[in-house]
Amino acid sequence: MSVRLNTTVGGLALANPIMAASGTYGYGLDLLEFCPPERLGAFVTKGLSPRPRAGNPVPRIVETAAGMINAIGLQNIGVEAFCRDALPLLRQRGPVVAVNVFGERMDEYVEVIERCEREDGIAAYELNVSCPNVTAGGIEFGHDPRPLERLTGMCRAATRRQLWVKLSPNAPDLVETARAAVSGGADALTLINTLRAIAIDAERRRPVLATGCGGLSGPAIKPIALRMVWEVHKALPAVPVVGIGGVESGRDIVEFLLAGASAVQVGTAIFRDPGAPLRILSELERFCAEHGVAEVRELVGVLEWH
Amino acid sequence: MIARRDLAVRVAARSDLSPTCFRLTLAAQEPLDASPGQFGMLSCGEGFDPLLRRAFSLAGVSRQGDTTEVELLIKEVGKGTTLLRHFALGSDLRLLAPLGNGFSLDAGPHRLALVAGGIGLPPVLFAAEVLAARSTGFDLYLGATSAVELLELTRCGRATSRAGGELVLTTDDGSRGERGFVTAALARRLSEGRAYSRVLACGPTPMLAALTLLARGHGLDAELSLEEPMACGVGVCLGCVVKLADGRYVPTCKEGPVFRTSELAPGWWT
Repeated sequence: MSVRLNTTVGGLALANPIMAASGTYGYGLDLLEFCPPERLGAFVTKGLSPRPRAGNPVPRIVETAAGMINAIGLQNIGVEAFCRDALPLLRQRGPVVAVNVFGERMDEYVEVIERCEREDGIAAYELNVSCPNVTAGGIEFGHDPRPLERLTGMCRAATRRQLWVKLSPNAPDLVETARAAVSGGADALTLINTLRAIAIDAERRRPVLATGCGGLSGPAIKPIALRMVWEVHKALPAVPVVGIGGVESGRDIVEFLLAGASAVQVGTAIFRDPGAPLRILSELERFCAEHGVAEVRELVGVLEWH
Repeated sequence: MIARRDLAVRVAARSDLSPTCFRLTLAAQEPLDASPGQFGMLSCGEGFDPLLRRAFSLAGVSRQGDTTEVELLIKEVGKGTTLLRHFALGSDLRLLAPLGNGFSLDAGPHRLALVAGGIGLPPVLFAAEVLAARSTGFDLYLGATSAVELLELTRCGRATSRAGGELVLTTDDGSRGERGFVTAALARRLSEGRAYSRVLACGPTPMLAALTLLARGHGLDAELSLEEPMACGVGVCLGCVVKLADGRYVPTCKEGPVFRTSELAPGWWT
């Protein structure tokens, strides 16, 4: 049987529910021979700030059991270089582009969006309010509902494009922050970002990473991500969710859809296999065909609780 | 740019080179066109632990009939390399290659100095064999902690004599060759007036740091193959950065792994 893979996230129609996650796919042009961006439902850029950022000293990454911890420090080329160098090439190929946005102050988020608003070829903004690596890089927005609502509102006022807020799993109350983002005007919520974590070198009696702590990603976090997607979906069933956390297979995508995600991002898996998103897409299609699922949208949020 | 491929490879041969190091020969059906200094990301099995591939400089690539043979020299240092040492012959793995840039192999007015420390040998050996085949002259400096960790001596000797150069061996404990660091052996010859068109080197970071200073002191053109922990190998994770003289952090996997000392930040190793 043929399977209809298309889905929607808020007002955005996608050819399939699979996206490449921010920070794992560059600016969409790095892995063309393995995974061209136009074959994905969408892709999310590396987080962009108003000006280029150098990022953290090394070591920035460390592998852990079924996962990895990173503290890249939001290194990026800046919104201007993205709009000037990458976007024209992307427009020729025609993928659905979501720009991941961050700033050290609220007005910097707006600055990035306003620069992007002058360009065609961007479908959505994903606000990074949860990167745990840079103290001033957004952690307070994602952890405290009131500033988060205000920030989302300021970004909402700057664009009519789709606005997603990527939530932190480290927030004291996830559902409260989800509500705050929605009341600020978010069209959808992306969850989850990485979990704050540490790897320790027993020989040196020091953290492995230069910054000490970082963000944990990979299959190790999938059960937590699924639980959080399900909790937010239950609390806010009308709000579209983009699920992310440790996806490695088509079956993982199905699990996120069942938990309430309308689309799902693939991140760390790309580091293992640059063709992972397309492999996962074909696995999803096969799973649906084998299980009599005619449309992937049927799966969204239909988890049965015993 | 040479096309990158995610090759299906099979463990074709493995032999121990020292108590800690082994040679892994991988066979692929597809061709692989790679130059010395480039590397590949090799899977260590199907599961999630270890999660990431491991980066290895290519030690040699050859085409035998319909099969491409890729040689890696590997030191067992952790989970991934231990698994690689124990896979049965015939095991299926994936190799994403060729990645990164390579050494500059063009000849100059003088010989080249090839310098390898410990398990930094693979890209240097690859360079030595390619240069020898082109009759480009070089001296090869090979250093290790002790005699048993001097790898691939026969091949190093054969390539060096074919190139009409000197093979200089050093060990930290003096059990073979000159006692002390390989960089000291190079420094001695430089102070005796030996001239080189370029230094090509790979080895532990302290060795490459010493070479950076040596090259600056003698006004030598030197290219270093750097290693940083890598997740992706293709420039998207930004985990493996090194600081350049202009202040930028660039991924060693994509803009390297070979850098000229003049483009690296002073004290890039700190």
